[in-house]
Amino acid sequence: MNDLISGIDIAFWALAAIAVLSGWRVFATDSMVRASFLLLLSFMAVAGIMLLLAAPYIGVATIFMMAVEMMVMAVFMVMFMMNPAGLNPMSMVHQQPLAIGAGVVAFIGLSAAVLTSPLPDQPVAADHRAIHALGIEMLGDSMLIFESAGVALLSAMIGSVILSSRSGRFGPADPGSRPPGLCEGGLPAGSVPDENKNHGMGHGMQHDTPNAAPQDTHGAHGAQGS
Amino acid sequence: MTLQALLIVASALIGLGLYGVLSQQSFVMLMMGFELILNGVLLMTMAFWSFGSAGAPKGQLLAILVMAVMALEMAIGFALVTAVYRQRQADTTEALDTLKH
Amino acid sequence: MNAATAVGATLLLMLGGAWLVAVFDRIAAALVARRPVGSLWLGPLQSGASLLVSRTNQTEHPDALNWALAPALYLVLAFVGVALVPFSTSGALVDIPAGIVLWGAVESLTVVAVFLHGWSANALFPLLGAYRYVAVGLPIMLVSMFVLIAAALPAQSLALGAIVQSQAGLWNVVRQPLGLPLFLLLGLSLTLRGPFNYADSADLAGGTDAERSGPPRAVWQWARLSMAVSFSAMAATVFLGGPLGPAWGTAELGPLWLTLKTAVVLALLVAASHLLARMPPSRMLTLLWTVLLPLSFVGLVAAGIEAAP
Repeated sequence: MNDLISGIDIAFWALAAIAVLSGWRVFATDSMVRASFLLLLSFMAVAGIMLLLAAPYIGVATIFMMAVEMMVMAVFMVMFMMNPAGLNPMSMVHQQPLAIGAGVVAFIGLSAAVLTSPLPDQPVAADHRAIHALGIEMLGDSMLIFESAGVALLSAMIGSVILSSRSGRFGPADPGSRPPGLCEGGLPAGSVPDENKNHGMGHGMQHDTPNAAPQDTHGAHGAQGS
Repeated sequence: MTLQALLIVASALIGLGLYGVLSQQSFVMLMMGFELILNGVLLMTMAFWSFGSAGAPKGQLLAILVMAVMALEMAIGFALVTAVYRQRQADTTEALDTLKH
Repeated sequence: MNAATAVGATLLLMLGGAWLVAVFDRIAAALVARRPVGSLWLGPLQSGASLLVSRTNQTEHPDALNWALAPALYLVLAFVGVALVPFSTSGALVDIPAGIVLWGAVESLTVVAVFLHGWSANALFPLLGAYRYVAVGLPIMLVSMFVLIAAALPAQSLALGAIVQSQAGLWNVVRQPLGLPLFLLLGLSLTLRGPFNYADSADLAGGTDAERSGPPRAVWQWARLSMAVSFSAMAATVFLGGPLGPAWGTAELGPLWLTLKTAVVLALLVAASHLLARMPPSRMLTLLWTVLLPLSFVGLVAAGIEAAP
């Protein structure tokens, strides 16, 4: 504690630099898969800081959860982004000056609030049994909060399955599940799936009318012929 | 590693996330920005737990709730992105302009 | 045991264990195919050396950084897994209060490493392998976490040392019979073997490793074997009592018991990878979500009821 800079301080500043730098690079990289794993790196740096803060369970659980989340995010990146491997330079931003301004204002505002307000000073004890205390609290006094979070997660799981199911809420999902066109409003690359099956479901009534007209003309021709 | 330093680092993460949310056209990148904001909030929570409350257990519980919110937001967010794409073939925010004046 | 000897012992266990897994693989393949086994002990070293002198393949526009980092990440995760395991009753190399959760982080980062390895090649079969593996590797992780929580319940702690101490009377493999079989399935997934080998399988012409040759391929295969050792050490600790042995001389013979139990689990792992049936990913997903996950729930509930005061 007499040293000006201790090992923990060096580790903290290194991890903080990694977190902020990789967070910035998420929005400055071309490859989308790299963007999601750069976000994972940012989360892992924050988790390392939390391990330095004597919260072992929260730190390691952050790494665990965020690895899985960023893996799923990478899969969705490839699904919905046009440049997953970063083979072309691209920049899909809008209102960039406003966004930079908002980010800077948020950072300055929050830092000013931090530096000017009287912060509490009750550091956690070095031998504090954090996991034990968390467990007793979570399943004791705060059981209702914990169970509500569980129910919220369950409803989110059910909701996300319903929203994205193949037999969707507003009709089947297959007609809409096609890649974007090569040009605006055009056909997608590759083979186009057979559309007749889907038209048969929603437009069954209209097929009778075009078929009825030739029969009428045939009848007229037949009447004229005979 | 003082409380102020931690909170300023977390504010930087929140500022970066806010920049991402406001500047990205694609839904998925927008959600990455939101995840960064929640990253900063998580760090702030644990900083206050470690330096400001002498290890009160509700601080860690709040951190777990922030992580649960992250998971919830990602799940419902991606389900909505999928549903919107299937309905309108829109994968950027600019493509959804039915409410535009 | 000071830090230097602990690191040395960890590296020795990893290297020796990787060699042993390769030898077991050859024995199992010879038994299943009823062929003579050839050079049993030197064979793995020969094939590794031949890979090291081969030329490294290149593809068009690979993600070079991630392609090089993925095997390194896989190796580091295997090392972290072995470092978590307590060698004797005095402690482990990495002794944190949430050891089980750190192993869970190792599992999830393994999925990231395999995906990156398949993605970075910018080729069709590696990408298919990576995607199939993500679809199956993530749910099997849930199964393993329930199994590990069930093992942590009698110990009333998430630390591996406490879990070892809680098995002083009865090993977890007897107390929680569903634990080790389900955990072995996770081991198959972590090491890309047997029915869970969706990443590097033969029907994808080698999968994520299809476009790789030369030293990077040697590193990837070595990392797979090292992960087998890491997983087996963890399974031996959580289910077979780790360094605990008969009452006499436990403190000094702890590493020996741990090594023997790791070898037993390695043999079980290799046997399972050669004897269990393969199935298409969709069927495996159905099996995972409808059979294995409820089974692990049942095991967790049973462990909770038994551990309740």
